[in-house]
Amino acid sequence: MVLVYIETAEGKAKNVGLEMITAAKLVSDKAVAVIIGNGNEEAVKQAATFGADEVITVASEGYNTEAYCYIMKSLVEKYSPEAVFVGSTLDGKDFAPRLAAQLGTGCVTDVVAVKVEDGKVVYTCPSYNGNLLNDMVVEGTPVVIVRSGSFKKADPAEREVAVTAEAIEVPADVMRAKIAEAVKEISETVNLEEAEVIVSGGRGMGAAENFALVKELADLLGGVVGATRAPIESGWISRAHQIGQSGKIVAPKLYIACGISGATQHVSGMIGSDYIVAINKDEDAPIFDIANVGIVGNVLDVLPLMIEEIKKARA
Amino acid sequence: MNILVCIKQVPDDSVEVSLNQATGKADIEKIAPIVNAFDGYALEMATRFKEAHGGEITVLSVGPEKARDSLRNCCAVGASKAYLVNSEAETDTYGIADTLAKAVAAIEAEAGAKFDVVFCGKETTDFTSSQVGPMLAEILGLPQVTNIVGLEPAEAGLAVKQETEEGYNMVDVATPCVVTVTKPEYDPRYPTMKSKMAARKVVIPDLAVEVNTDAKVSVTKVYEPAKKEAGVKIKEETVEETVAKAIGLMAEAKVF
Repeated sequence: MVLVYIETAEGKAKNVGLEMITAAKLVSDKAVAVIIGNGNEEAVKQAATFGADEVITVASEGYNTEAYCYIMKSLVEKYSPEAVFVGSTLDGKDFAPRLAAQLGTGCVTDVVAVKVEDGKVVYTCPSYNGNLLNDMVVEGTPVVIVRSGSFKKADPAEREVAVTAEAIEVPADVMRAKIAEAVKEISETVNLEEAEVIVSGGRGMGAAENFALVKELADLLGGVVGATRAPIESGWISRAHQIGQSGKIVAPKLYIACGISGATQHVSGMIGSDYIVAINKDEDAPIFDIANVGIVGNVLDVLPLMIEEIKKARA
Repeated sequence: MNILVCIKQVPDDSVEVSLNQATGKADIEKIAPIVNAFDGYALEMATRFKEAHGGEITVLSVGPEKARDSLRNCCAVGASKAYLVNSEAETDTYGIADTLAKAVAAIEAEAGAKFDVVFCGKETTDFTSSQVGPMLAEILGLPQVTNIVGLEPAEAGLAVKQETEEGYNMVDVATPCVVTVTKPEYDPRYPTMKSKMAARKVVIPDLAVEVNTDAKVSVTKVYEPAKKEAGVKIKEETVEETVAKAIGLMAEAKVF
């Protein structure tokens, strides 16, 4: 049995949680989803639909590092799973290593593949900006932090599975750091991880207003706008759009990189895309090394023409 | 406040790392060693905190002899004391966190004073595991706040600004505590001639702490991911022709 912690947002399962059900079944006979919080009926249904064999729910107030460690440790002690899978979100990366230290077991981060070799489970994790991959084995009950987008969700199917509500009372003195206020600065929801088309802008876009072209092309293709670190730091676009090592890891069907040079920082976050189109005026830009189609030219000249051509091709 | 900043010396992350075919490991020998970027942000945040509210900053690292240079660089940009657990022993993240915890105990015993805040970078640029900070907090028995972009003294400890997907959280945490730092709105300062000279005089003792090599995670194989093959690069006479050709290829591949 693998305990798969499924993080929720507004009662819905985050994708990585559902993807991990697939990963868990590659290494174990049973994937048991763990859903913590309140008002998560929808997420419970999603876990069953996407292949969880059982679901454990634990009622709890909002996220708290030490409370979640306490809950997960209680579950590990009760169920003795072979491994605990946690998605590589901010909360996941916050509590999972602490949980591993509490359990006295090993932890691996950003797992992109799993396999069983000679009876041992091997976890593959990238290092050095994705330039190298490391196969790792872990003693004991590993706490495995899985990178989003690395596994495909199972085909959805209506299923009835056992749902067990575990009552775990977290002693008040366990929680020594408390979220006093959660401030929403970024109102837009940018669902990069689930987008089939992403049009991204980099430093080469030159100015905030030029991002309108990126947005126009993304809208035309039914896609989402992405960005590298430079335009975000210049304040051209919000960090919700960031793709790369310090942003989101994405794998859309079509990725159009506009005015992006192709630093490993960024490339490691989008190299899994099925089809990459790159526009850059520098013929030697490293982005062209990974692009299916490279367009050498000024992005501000190219984008309006592309938009026009696509409209024409569709007409 | 009495502040500790844990740092790791890593290969310059602007250089692309490849596999050393002979050793089967990362080929990093020729890459310049630097202070992990997020540890640099942590030190800058700690230094700004010290400048605003008083205190002293100690830096600590577990690493080889040459990591002493990185510790010295930290002494030129805010730290006044530095300690090294001088070791090239191989271990895992838990081993490092456990070693840091022992080093913290040794420094505290020697100074006769506890640290109020332990800063770490949120992750290192080499392995990006983001494990050591939370593990260190657990081993030290302290609360943690990860991914922070700022902090202020508060009545019962600290008010910490934690970056989230949608904005930020204000987190109340008691001291002593462990915080891990992500990129704030500012960059780390550069040393001055004067601060460099002063840093040169800082004595950086080796701590008599053994590295915990009882690793629970071991690497069985290191390899390069399958390279994505470059497709076509188009540069026609005019930009119109270039775009037309690209769109043709995209249409052929049925990507829109």
